[in-house]
Amino acid sequence: MNFFTTNIILVENTLVVILLALSIQIPLRLGVFSFAAIGYYAIGAYGSAILMLEFGWGSWEAMIVATLAATAIAFLLGLVLARLTGLYLGMATIAFDLILVVLVLNGGSLTGGPVGVFGVLGSIHLWHLALAVVIVLGLLTFTERGKLARRFDAVREDPQLASSMGINVFSYRRLSFVISGVLGALAGSFAVNLRSTVAPESIGFGLVVLGLTVIIVGGQGSWVGAVIGASIFVWLPKFLEFVGDWEEVIYGIIVVLAAIFIPGGIVGLFVEAKHRRQSKRNKEVIELAATRLAGSGEGASDANSQVEGALSD
Amino acid sequence: MVQDLLNSLTLGSIYLLFALGMALVWGTIGILNFAHGSIFMFATFVAYLVTERVALPLPAVLIVASLTGAVLSVAVQVLAFQPIMRRAKNQHSAELQILIGGIGIAAVPIALAQRATLSNPFGLGQSTFQVQIYEIGDVRVSNIMIIILLAGLILGGGVAWWVKASRQGLALRAIGVNDEVASIMGINKQRLALSTMALGGALAGLAGALLTYYLSAITPESGDALLIKAFAAIVLGGLGSIAGVIAGSLILALSETMVLTYTSGTWVNAVSFGLIFLILVIRPQGIFGRKEVVRT
Amino acid sequence: MTDNSQPVLEAVDVAVHYGGIKAVDGISFSLMPGRITGILGPNGSGKTTLLGALTRMVSLTNGRLLFLGKDYSNILAPKVLSLGISRTFQTVRVLSDRTVLDNILLGTDALSGSRAGNIREIVRQAIERTGLEGFEHVRPGELSYGIQRRVEIARAIASQPSLLLLDEPTAGMNQHERQEIGGLLRQLRDEGLTQLLIEHDVQMMLDTCDTLLAMNFGSLIAEGSPESVVQNSAVQEAYLGKRTGQDA
Repeated sequence: MNFFTTNIILVENTLVVILLALSIQIPLRLGVFSFAAIGYYAIGAYGSAILMLEFGWGSWEAMIVATLAATAIAFLLGLVLARLTGLYLGMATIAFDLILVVLVLNGGSLTGGPVGVFGVLGSIHLWHLALAVVIVLGLLTFTERGKLARRFDAVREDPQLASSMGINVFSYRRLSFVISGVLGALAGSFAVNLRSTVAPESIGFGLVVLGLTVIIVGGQGSWVGAVIGASIFVWLPKFLEFVGDWEEVIYGIIVVLAAIFIPGGIVGLFVEAKHRRQSKRNKEVIELAATRLAGSGEGASDANSQVEGALSD
Repeated sequence: MVQDLLNSLTLGSIYLLFALGMALVWGTIGILNFAHGSIFMFATFVAYLVTERVALPLPAVLIVASLTGAVLSVAVQVLAFQPIMRRAKNQHSAELQILIGGIGIAAVPIALAQRATLSNPFGLGQSTFQVQIYEIGDVRVSNIMIIILLAGLILGGGVAWWVKASRQGLALRAIGVNDEVASIMGINKQRLALSTMALGGALAGLAGALLTYYLSAITPESGDALLIKAFAAIVLGGLGSIAGVIAGSLILALSETMVLTYTSGTWVNAVSFGLIFLILVIRPQGIFGRKEVVRT
Repeated sequence: MTDNSQPVLEAVDVAVHYGGIKAVDGISFSLMPGRITGILGPNGSGKTTLLGALTRMVSLTNGRLLFLGKDYSNILAPKVLSLGISRTFQTVRVLSDRTVLDNILLGTDALSGSRAGNIREIVRQAIERTGLEGFEHVRPGELSYGIQRRVEIARAIASQPSLLLLDEPTAGMNQHERQEIGGLLRQLRDEGLTQLLIEHDVQMMLDTCDTLLAMNFGSLIAEGSPESVVQNSAVQEAYLGKRTGQDA
């Protein structure tokens, strides 16, 4: 009990970061390099704060409206940026996030300018957040099994193949913007409710970096990665207390090492290990079947097909 | 009016020197180096440390900064980007990894500088160079501004010429167009990548020292702010085009100066962010870029 | 009851132009039910682009496409599968991080309602017919190119098409495998599956196809029975230097 109460802030942060990480992860799983989730977080946080402080709304109503607003903007963004892919899409979405920061900085008394918003007291508690996260993880599990998981993979790895298999790639990509909007806004809204404050520096590029590093270190393919990554980065400072001001350096080094050596994240390590075990089991099967298929010892292609092969490029 | 123009050109030259290095590497080798801002800052920081002990003249300071920048860039390439590219499964994942690797490695010099300076600004005031301001009519020009403008002009033009006319420049463009064919034709991508990174880093270091003289100080966080502006300049001008980077840098600087003059300073950053977003939506290939660069 | 005189697919004056290039330049043909139609042509003749146009992955500059009499020239690419048209690709396209079984299942994911039937049985059959028993839990990256091609074919079959378009399905296979695949395609045809086959191996075309089309520079230069097309002088000229009797 004592552990929990002394670390309640870290637990809150972990849950919020999980939602944020998921809001970036979903588009990435579909091959959409959108980092706009940080912007949706900002809309969720500032939206809730303003509705509650300026207009006296309750926590839940404010959360719902702020999330709806973020989702609508996310949908529009998905349409406007539909033709962009890869780094270009990434940059456009980061630009979107940073534009929001500038807007917030210049928002005068409404957004509190550089100082931000204080005193947002709501009726949302930690267990609400925990419940929300559990529900989201449960729903996401559906997207990590069977048909939906396969389709996600196809959309990410080979959109043309996906198309030929009846998958509307554009729809899936638009959907990823919408889901990202919902999750990002919820993360921001919960955050401002539980911390009672939000400021420009907590919604800026630093948040983009946090989200990305959580996913790279944890793993891009599954919510388990988001959970692991979030846990590591929220709790790391506590365990690194002894390193004092070298914390930033250690952080940076961990990120680089992860990017180089475990691009699939921690979850990726487990998946690869599983694949290697399976490969070993499959080795015999492959060798047996390969000899069967090679037919009557005609292993090599004959001259004609070699010529065709050479011409086929 | 003329003063604004002069200020813009000076700022634009700094942006150009910084963005050139980034554009060269990105447009050809395909690496988006997020550590570029950190290198810019740390190279200047090293120059600062040196001048604290030895009062060097301007050229020496500039050389120290440039060399440090070059070394740092090469280090980043060798320690981070090369290993990532060796291991990468495909283009897609390599891009993300390089992006994040760059972000991670950028944190290290910034943190080191922050510790040493306690996040306070640092300048190159201990060197022998003194900023002198001349007044021509109601226009104020300083010697450092002239130097910056010259650097921008000479180096900007020089790099543009080099890319177009030299063998290495041709090789670089060949890699940018078709990686595999380039290597079949004997172009050593690895070596060219290293020298391009070195050149980019040197330009960044130079830009850092010059900017520090111009503003009289920079902070450990200054590099990151420039990073996004470099994107804006490159995207606006069009990736793969040196003329584009030049145009983009100048247009960006001009727009920012105008916004600064007619509104308050808090909207200045919105210019670069807004430009990035608008260009990518309306004309992703930028002013001078090739159309195939952005695929659906 | 299928009307065997109505074509399954009709291409009417189909043209695909990119910039100044006329990849496909006004082609018209029909695919009759229960027949295998082959397309022969040197590289660059526009065969793959034509396939792209038929599957709506490439836009038509001109012309119309009809499936079972209905115009589908403007539908979205993902809808093509639900019409009943499946395809394989010139370069093997499989999900390399997924098992063979998963890749084949991808073909069944779009099946709904009456065509869904028993997924397990459909997949089992697809695996059996393409000789992939035992490979279910292997990932394609660990397998030879020829086996990967079979996975593509199995996936296409699993999607229960009424028209199957194959783009060089036996590239990278040895002669024995090629014959096996040819046999499979003929068997599928006997069961009523209409097919369009692009291939380079002329003997295979002679053995497998009921009708042959020959293309060059985006146009049809010959059409008819395989033997007649192969012996056509314009076709032989297009294949300058290629001896057609070599495979016998």
